[in-house]
Amino acid sequence: MTHIIGAGMDRRALLKLGGAGIAALGLGPLSACSGSGSGSDTIKMLYFGQQSAATALQKKLQPQVTKLDKAMKLEVTGINGTDWNDFLAKVLTQIASGSAPDLVSVATEGLQLMASKELLVPLDSYVTKDLDSLQSYFDDIHPALVESMMYEGHLYELPDSFNAGSMFYSTDLLKKAGLEAPAESWTMDDFHTYATKIAATGPKVYAFDWVVRLWGSWTSFLYANGGNLLEEGKYTGGDWLWKSAYKNNPAAAAGRGGGWKWGQPTANSAAAVEALDYLIDLQRSNLSPSPDVGGGGTLQGLFSSGRIGMTIGGGFWAGGLHNAGMKDGSFDVQRFPTWKSNKSLFGAGGYGIFNSSEKKDLAWEIVKMMVQPESFDIMFPGNVTTPGRKSLMTAERYASTGPANWSVFYDQLDGSVPISAPPYYNALATSLNQRTTKAISSGNAKAALDGMQADFEKAVKGV
Amino acid sequence: MSTLAPPRSGHSRPPRTDPERRPRRGTRRLARREAGFGFLMISPAVLFVAVFTLAPMVASVALSFFSWDVITPPRFVGLDNFERIVGDDAVVSSFGTTLLLAFGIVVVQLVVGLGLAVLVNQRRRPAAKTFFRTTFYLPLLASTAAVSIFMGYMFDMKFGVINYYLNAVGLPSVPWLTSTWGAIVTIILIAAWQQVGFTFVMFVAALTSLPTDVLEAAAIDGAGPVRTLFGVKIPLISPTILFAAVVAMINALQLFDQPFIMTKGGPGTATTTATIVMYQTGFQNLQFGYASAIATVLLVIILAITGLQFLAARKWAFYR
Repeated sequence: MTHIIGAGMDRRALLKLGGAGIAALGLGPLSACSGSGSGSDTIKMLYFGQQSAATALQKKLQPQVTKLDKAMKLEVTGINGTDWNDFLAKVLTQIASGSAPDLVSVATEGLQLMASKELLVPLDSYVTKDLDSLQSYFDDIHPALVESMMYEGHLYELPDSFNAGSMFYSTDLLKKAGLEAPAESWTMDDFHTYATKIAATGPKVYAFDWVVRLWGSWTSFLYANGGNLLEEGKYTGGDWLWKSAYKNNPAAAAGRGGGWKWGQPTANSAAAVEALDYLIDLQRSNLSPSPDVGGGGTLQGLFSSGRIGMTIGGGFWAGGLHNAGMKDGSFDVQRFPTWKSNKSLFGAGGYGIFNSSEKKDLAWEIVKMMVQPESFDIMFPGNVTTPGRKSLMTAERYASTGPANWSVFYDQLDGSVPISAPPYYNALATSLNQRTTKAISSGNAKAALDGMQADFEKAVKGV
Repeated sequence: MSTLAPPRSGHSRPPRTDPERRPRRGTRRLARREAGFGFLMISPAVLFVAVFTLAPMVASVALSFFSWDVITPPRFVGLDNFERIVGDDAVVSSFGTTLLLAFGIVVVQLVVGLGLAVLVNQRRRPAAKTFFRTTFYLPLLASTAAVSIFMGYMFDMKFGVINYYLNAVGLPSVPWLTSTWGAIVTIILIAAWQQVGFTFVMFVAALTSLPTDVLEAAAIDGAGPVRTLFGVKIPLISPTILFAAVVAMINALQLFDQPFIMTKGGPGTATTTATIVMYQTGFQNLQFGYASAIATVLLVIILAITGLQFLAARKWAFYR
């Protein structure tokens, strides 16, 4: 027992060794990010959702992966999160731990962040090489979705899904209020009339509810009011794609560039103040409750239990409300009402290939496979998002879940703009949440948006 | 004869305490063996603490002198991160919020914990004592995240059950989580409620072990329950109160779950604690060096407050 530490090692030497060990352990993570993606026979994919769904997806995709490479095993890891911001934070944490995947699910929210950090591989050469086999895909997908996956002229993802901010409504509450379904050309004045009449149907009913976040928040009103949080612009470049993949549809490709370039902050513009003031007024006049921050779980529960008349949703709400027990016909959807403009917002999703992946070519084959029409329902069972390919938007798809006016989801893409998600998206999202809740709490939209503007300006400078 | 005088007998001698006299070689060997065995026994715990507590702490302090965004290699920036903290209103404000919330939580925890302990200690039946001890300790065992989600629903302004009952008795709805002071008070109450079992159990144990002769003497001197509580019981358990206050304060200064889940640090930044800012700075804004600097400052604040608590306790903690 006396010499358990070893002959010749005194207490001082032991302490030195221990100190060095602790320092090594402590500083170890500093180089953690250099770790490679995965072992030679496994291709790792990060999926936004529960592990049970990720495992199911893995089982369904494995046979197709085996067709591409007999020795390759697909490993899909589910990452839960309240929203994309949360998911992204967890992905970055995993990268920090030295365990970067080969493929990762990335929505508009994280695309520019990951592309600007050179975490993802540009797909330009892959797309150019395989354009013939991909032509049917480009013929079938709205160019706005493809453009939203570009950054500085390069394409980083083939979008497989999207969600445009439309207005869902409870058909039961509209009926109680004596209202017809809103027309496609409805305006903000119409919306306000609807809200007032729906709220009058009962003391426990709120006309409208929303969630504090970037997508489909008060930002939908801001877009409809002709504004944005940041100056809208386009990167140059991208002709390599538009002139080849969309050569059969030059009208759709007209005006497209190399991805959305988000300029100086305009968070406290007159349009923004007016939009946020409108939401505050809705709450003051008891037409809307205090909004939650983040995911829309509470909102979904309230809407499905008939306590909310209208809310902003995308195609994902069809599956969400159906899963929450709402029957087809008990809710429907219309495009977002026109205010000073009919501009609406959307966010798209897809899979990016990690730069650190040692199996990029195989990962590309999997990306191509995942955007095939037959893969969509494997990837997204139950209408939990909107298909990126228009051919998948059929009456049959929405026959059991609703809504009846499902064609709005795709039609609304014309003239819509992706959510403003620059490389400093996370700082933007944090400020947006904080300043919006402050505005709701204080009732002073201008002061809160001045603060948001200052936050954004700091974020642009990278402070 | 003083009772403190050493015992004497005709055939016994006091033990030799001559410092010059060294123990015999065999005794030394035995002592070293015992010490070695002791080190072996505690080594798993020491290793655990070293790997999961000390190493991350050292890494965090080291990282606070770097700029690191996970993707690119760390860059040494000296004291830049600390200078930035001084000029960063959001971070400075989060420290203020942290102190406010922590102070509120600790005060509620101590006062309510002591009050409950005194009441339960007066129960004569052991079964009743066991029941209350278990009941008040239970929240401590519940997942903080689950409790926070649940409480978020309970305290929802429009649809929460708390406001439902307030309305039922004719009172107006309270913006528990959507107004600045409402959110602060609610977070304090919920965090304190969940942790109060810790102070309660410690105080019950301390009160149960009070010497009966002192309490009997107080009763003979005519002290009532209130005088006995403040004049005898509380001074006697003051070391326990000190310990509970120190541990509760250290926990409260690291508050994260409740405000993060229930209010996301809002409304605005009303409940944004230093740990939330650390999370946002590191894991959302990818500024791990700066986040580590914030963590280091928080560590220093915790050490300073703990030190102050011990210093202040010299005046009120009574050791028998």
